[in-house]
Formats: sequence, C-alpha cells, structure tokens
Amino acid sequence: MSYILAGTILFFIGGLFSVFIKEKFKGIGFLSFAVLAQVFILPETLRVLFTGSQIEIQLFFSEPIGISFLRLDPLAAMFVLIISLGSLLAAIYSKGYMKMYSGNKSALSSYYFFLGLMVASMLLVVIVQNAMLFMIVWEVMSISSFFLVSFENNKIEVRKASIYYLIAMQIGAAFLISAFAWISASSGSLDFYSFKNVLNNSSFISVLLFVLFFIGFGTKAGFVPMHTWLPKAHPAAPTGVSALMSGVMIKTGIYGILRIVLLSGTPNATVAYFVLAVSLITGLTGIANAVSQKDMKKLLAYSSIENIGIIGIGIGTGMLGLAYNNNTIALLGFFGAMLHVVNHFTFKSVLFYGSGVVYTQTHTRNVDKLGGLIKYLPVTSFLFLISALAISGLPILSGFVSELLIYLGLIKCFSVSNLAINIFAVLGISGLAFVGAMALLSFTKVFGIAFLGSPRSQLHGQPNEKDLSLLVPMIFLVVIIFTLGLFPYLAFQLLGNAVRQFLPANSVADFSQIQTTLKLLSNYLLIFGSLIVFFYLIRLLLLKKKKVEVFKTWDCGYQQSSSRLQYSSSSYAQPFLNLVSEFVPQKIQVEKEPVLFPKEASLESHSQDFFERFLIQPNLKFLKKSLNLFSWIQSGKMQQYIIYGLIFLVFLLIWILGVS
Amino acid sequence: MKFIPFILIIISPFFFTGLINKVKAIWAGRKGASVFQPYFDFFKLIRKGEVISKTTSFVFQISSSLNIAATIFALMIVPIPFAGSVISLPGDFVLFSYALGLSKFMMILAALDTGSSFEGMGASREATFSTIVETAFFIIMGSLALLTNQISFNAIFSVLNMSAGYTVLVKILLVVSLFIMLLSEGSRIPVDDPNTHLELTMIHEVMILDYSGPDLAFILYATSLKMVIISMLIANLLIPSFLTLAAALPLFVFILFLVFMVVGFVESLIARLRISHVPQFIFLMTALSLTAFAVIAFFLRGGF
Repeated sequence: MSYILAGTILFFIGGLFSVFIKEKFKGIGFLSFAVLAQVFILPETLRVLFTGSQIEIQLFFSEPIGISFLRLDPLAAMFVLIISLGSLLAAIYSKGYMKMYSGNKSALSSYYFFLGLMVASMLLVVIVQNAMLFMIVWEVMSISSFFLVSFENNKIEVRKASIYYLIAMQIGAAFLISAFAWISASSGSLDFYSFKNVLNNSSFISVLLFVLFFIGFGTKAGFVPMHTWLPKAHPAAPTGVSALMSGVMIKTGIYGILRIVLLSGTPNATVAYFVLAVSLITGLTGIANAVSQKDMKKLLAYSSIENIGIIGIGIGTGMLGLAYNNNTIALLGFFGAMLHVVNHFTFKSVLFYGSGVVYTQTHTRNVDKLGGLIKYLPVTSFLFLISALAISGLPILSGFVSELLIYLGLIKCFSVSNLAINIFAVLGISGLAFVGAMALLSFTKVFGIAFLGSPRSQLHGQPNEKDLSLLVPMIFLVVIIFTLGLFPYLAFQLLGNAVRQFLPANSVADFSQIQTTLKLLSNYLLIFGSLIVFFYLIRLLLLKKKKVEVFKTWDCGYQQSSSRLQYSSSSYAQPFLNLVSEFVPQKIQVEKEPVLFPKEASLESHSQDFFERFLIQPNLKFLKKSLNLFSWIQSGKMQQYIIYGLIFLVFLLIWILGVS
Repeated sequence: MKFIPFILIIISPFFFTGLINKVKAIWAGRKGASVFQPYFDFFKLIRKGEVISKTTSFVFQISSSLNIAATIFALMIVPIPFAGSVISLPGDFVLFSYALGLSKFMMILAALDTGSSFEGMGASREATFSTIVETAFFIIMGSLALLTNQISFNAIFSVLNMSAGYTVLVKILLVVSLFIMLLSEGSRIPVDDPNTHLELTMIHEVMILDYSGPDLAFILYATSLKMVIISMLIANLLIPSFLTLAAALPLFVFILFLVFMVVGFVESLIARLRISHVPQFIFLMTALSLTAFAVIAFFLRGGF
C-alpha cells in the first residue's frame, strides 16, 4: 500500500518539479516521474488484481477527519491500473502535444503542476475510504481538472466552458456531501465499511441515499441529465487532458457508483430499474447527439456519454441479477460493465489522441473542413479506424466483448419469470442495438468525412505525423484493443477478482462457465479474423498479373467534379436526424434575398441537446431570475458594505452579551 | 455431416438471385435469362482486372474481402434446420448481427473513401436504415429468447415449436418482420432497386459504383448470401423442431424457394417506395416484432 501512496506522491512531485525546470525539459521531467510512479504502483496493483487480496493502511489525521483507512481491494486496483497507465500515456502525449504552446512558460508550468495534482487526486479518490478525506480529494480532483480545462483561458468559449464545468462539479459535490453527511450521521462513523449497515437494509432511507449518491457520482460520470458539462469541457481542454478526463476521470464517477453498490449488498429491485432506465436514456441521448456533431472532440464527448450509458446498463443489469437472486445475470452485468470501463479507456483515449494529432496538423476540429487525411496521416488514420470500430462494438475488437457480456446478461433476464424484468430486458437489448447502430453512424461519419475522400478546404501546409510521442500512446492502446478483443479470457483473468466482490460466494460455477464461453468466443473470433485474411489473400491472388488501373472516381459523366461536392458531415447525418428530430432538435437558419433569383444565400444548422434545452436551460433561467432578486445585496456601493460590517458587529455584540 | 448442407448453401446464393430474376421475367411475359446467369456474371468478374479510384485508400481495397468474410462467418452461426449451425455459443445472434455490422461499417467507409457525392448519399441512407433494422432484429431475437428460454440460435431453434395457440400469431408476425429485413438488407424493391442505375434513388447499389472486377464479385456474392441467410432464419421459424430429417429437408428447400419466389412476386407487383417513405416501411418491422414480443409476454407472464 505504501508503494501505491509513494507512486501517488511521485505524480504530484513530478508536477511540482516541472514548475521549476526549464521549459524545454518540463515534458520529459514530468514523464520521467510518471514512469517512476509506474514502478511503484503497477506491481502491487496487479498483485491485488490477480490474487484478489486486499491491503489497507491507517492514516491518522486530526479531527474532523480522524482515523482514515486507505484500502486497495480488486475494485479499487482495477481503477488504479487505468488511472496510472492513462496518466503515463497522457504524459507521453503531452510531451509532444504541448509543443504547440512552447514559449508560454507559465502556462506550461501550471499545466504540468495541475496534471500531477489531478493524477494524484484521482489515485487517492479510489483508495481513500473515509468520507471526509474522500470529499477533499474529490474536490481537489475537480478543481485541478478545472484549471486544466481552462488552460487556453484567453479564449472566451474556454472560459465559459471551464466555469460551467466547475459549477456542474460543485452541484454534483453538493449531492455527495449531503449523502455522506447523512450516512455518516446515521452510521456514526466516517469509514466506508460502517456505511454497510445503513445501506444494507431496503428501507426508504437507503434507497434515497443511493439515489443521492447516484446523482452525485453520476454528475462526474456524465449520466443524463447531468451530462451537459461533458460536451463543453472536453473540447475546451488540451487533448492530453481531454483523453485523460474522458478515458479515466469520468470513470471515478463509475467507481463511486460501484463502491456504493458494493456497500449496499443486495439492492432493491426498484433501484436497479432506476439505474437501468437512466443508463438507457443516457446511452441513447449521448449517441443521438454525437451523430449531429461537426466538432470532432464534441462528438467524442457525446460518445463518452453514450459509453457511460452502456456501462450503466451493465451495472443496472448486475444489480437486477442480485435483486432477483440470479448470479449469472449479476456476473454478466458487472463483468460487462467493468470490462467496458477498461475498454472505453483504451479506445476513447486513442480517438482523442487521434483528434489531437489532426488538430495539431490542421488547426481545426471541424470535420466539414477536413477530408483525405489518410493520405497524410496513414498511421494515425489506421489507429483511429481501429478504435472507431472498437467503440462501435464490432468484433474482433475489445468493444464487442464487453457489449456481448451486457447483452448476455440482459438476455438471461428473459429466464426470470417476472414481467417487469422481461420488459426491461427487451428495452435494454433493443436499446443497446439502437445505440450500436447509431455509434456506427457517428463513427463512419467522423472517420469517413475527416480521413477519407479528398480535402474539403485548403490546409496550412502538409500535415505530417513525425512526432513519435504522439503516436506511441495510440499504438500501445491499439495493441491492447486487439488483445482484449481476440483473447477476452485474459480480461476475465484480470478483472475476475474485482467482479467476484459483487457476487455471493456460491457463484463459482458461473465463473468457470463464463471462462469456457470466453475461450470458445476467442476461438470463433480467431476464425473470423482468419476468414478476413483468407479472402483478402484470395483477392490479391485474383488480381495478380491482372491490370489494375488507377483512375478518377466515377462521377456519372459530371465534367467538373470538385471536392466540395462530396458529402459533408451534416448531409451524411441529415436523413437520420430527420427521423429523430423530436429528440435532437435542429435549428436551421436560411438566409437568402427575397427575389426570384437570389445571388447569395446562406444556411446554418445547429443541433441542440434535448435535455439542455428543455430541462437545464429553463431551470437555469429560473434560478437566475430568482437569485437576481437578491442582487441588491451586492450593489457595488462601499457605504452599503460598511453597513453590513456594522450590522454584523452589532449582532456579535448582542450575542456575546447574551451568552455571558 | 453438417458440412455438406453448409457447403451446398455456400454455393447456392446466386441460384436464388437467378430465381428472383426468372420469376420477374416470367411475370413480365419474357423468357428471361437462365437461373444460373448470376454464376456466369460472377466468374466473368473474378477473371477481370480492376479500376480503382485515385482518391481511395486501403479502406476501399480491404472492405470487399471483409464484407464477404463477415457474411460467411454470419452464415456459420445460423443453424440449418436439420443439421444445426457450424459454430454456436451463448448469445451468438449478437455476434451474428455485429459481424454483419462490421461489414456494413467497412462498406460505408469504402463508399465515403471514393469522395463521390453519389456514394456518400448511398452510405448515409444505408447507415440510417440500418439503425432501424438492427433494433428490430434484436426485438425479434428477444421475443424468441423469451418464448424458448434459450440464448443461442441453435438452442432457440432446436426447441422452437410454434404450431399451436397464440404462437401461430407470433410466427406470422416474426416471419413478416424478417421478410422486411430480407428486402431491406438484400436491397430489393420496395426499399432499393438492384437493377436501375439511377443513382439518386438507390441505397446499396450506389455505394458500390466504384467497385469492379473481383471486388465487385465478392460484394455481389455477399449480398446474395445475406438474403439466403435471412431466409434461413425464416425457414427456422417455420419448421417445427420435432420434424425428422426426412420431413424437414424437403420443407427447408421448399421454404427457401418460396421465399425467393415471393421476393420476385413483390418486385413484379410493387413499385419502389419514395426514399422518404422507406423508413416507415422498415419501421413496420419494429412494430411487428414489438407486437410479437407483447403477445408472448402476455401469454407467458400472465395478464398486464
């Protein structure tokens, strides 16, 4: 345990250290600390994951924190693993990516400092098991990431986004604080273990507490309707941080939910249905909005919301399994959810890193301005394509395995003789299928429009991918995507102990069964892979010694083909958006002269977030209006403020006199 | 044992495509080409060279091979009524649907890879309509899983017996639903027209405008095979599990013939739908399968 703590501190020191060194060495300085931290963190984490043991140490703080436990159980270890690896990759990537901002020494110093602080606080979040200390590191995590999001604070939209993010995080924290305050008041202790007694009964209070925790942690994770900060904050942050936030940080919200589920024991069925329903809506909302985005990073942010939804569906399924005493369903649900946590970390990081490479080379994230990048950035394009396939849940890549497990869990729900669970199961599987199909739509869009075809606008200079530090993290992750996709039983060996924590002791049979299924699946996927290779070889054989002519694209006799005639991302998504226009409202503005033959015309289309428009914005307006009633308190007049001081002193005097 | 029917099915798809054309020809009062004509076309294509667009990348060149590989892999998962499937595992219909999804993903990318506005149009429509089809397919499979309490194709169809009571209604609903899927995935009228070359009205055909030679042969084969696969699913629904091999085998062949002849009839009788009406037609599939699910849930789990 002390090794993990040492690694955590190393991340922090690395950040601190790079404040004081020359600009040129900041990146490499932080990176070397990050590498060193792995040496401390990884061995112990892997040992806990593979043996299923638990280690803990006690720390003594003065009141009000008191004695607090740091515990590393397999669940925490799994998150420590992705946080630690994700941070290392972000450090490698930042070394190359932050060259864009060279010359701005103070900004770079603050970047690495807050990066170190954020990583250290994320690591602490998953191992601290004392409510007070947890809230402290939780807030440090939020605030340090706020400073990272506001890195380019000379831009107005970045400032807006980062403030929005900070406020959203504080709202989430308010829910968490009230939940923790309540639960520690009724259990009489701040230690997580003592919460079991309060959460473990199926009273109304425990349900309410669970919902409070779910909203609090769900805000961080990005569950609808608390998701609106993601599509604002992710594009605003520098790419290394976006990847870290989307791949790793929002998972701490999932960690929180899983921890509460673990402490709750057998959940109430109503709670499980609640989680399932919210997650389903989250998945659908996230991906439906992703379809309509033109900004690459915004699209990826919405797809993160979708994936959080999928993870949530897995958790909900697992809880249903526990509630209905069906170990198989519970195992499949929880395992699917946790595997998807790991998988989403891998492919979403690659996608963000890829979009960062595109941004450094073209200085735009708008896919409608791009095209044909595969010619200039072949390696990035290939890695991006693999991750796009994986995130759409397609075989033979890792995303498929986790989605299959969640599907299996839902399908198993049909064997429970209860109408409600059957209906939720069919909603779940058709919802997941719909989400998958929409993911296919959005990722064919982003890859097809930005990387394929021909360039849609003049680029500044020739894009290239010479910087290895941008490619190495992506290559590393794509190897993992293939490995987990083709050999899913390896994932089970890694995560099995973490999943076992959630299940009753009598579920050994289910564990060996799932192991067999995954081995079988692995064989079949290898068959699939070899079929693909086989037919490609046949194609090569057929074309051998044949004439293969390279000519322009068939244009139906059109004489003047231009790259602007290509389908754009808006036209590609338009037929689908017409179908779902009720849920993804489009705002289309057409301007043209009101004459018979207008010479100039313009058309602009924007999509709006359903929940933001109909739920968040009206409430914000109401809040603003009602809080404005008190705006006279802060009038800006010095005289008035002096009166406040006077009134306060008078009250103090009366109080002191009254007491004595 | 199961490999002989499997091989037979692998070589059959073009025959059924020929059958559709023959039915259409006879219906129109022509003699029509031989039912084996698609085979001749296929062998002609694989002997040819290719023209490849200079806009394209490796995506264009691997997609056709991937398409045919995924379709054959999907065939291996679908059980043949009297012999079972080549491979089977819990939840294999998810693998089935997602393997086809992979081929769809790559074919859409290949279309966008050419940078042609026509092919972009086809790609966009294909992606849009597949969102509806895929969702409905999972409702169908969910209904069958609920009805039989099994979780793999093989297991579901080996206990499925829909010949009495309310299950007859379910059977009709699901068969019609799958038939719509066949028309949509096989790019047949009224969803799509494989014969015209008016690009503006087409979906699947327009996506492959730039393919030629062996690549085109692969794609044509994969499309035909996909239709055979879906008609195999229909046959599995119609053939009760208690039938012996001697009874099931002729019935299976008969059903395949029947399905493709009905496709021919539909093509002869109905005009292609306007593109804006296609989603409504495919939504019918969702509606039918949801109804089937509701019926099963009502009778299995008692009143609402």
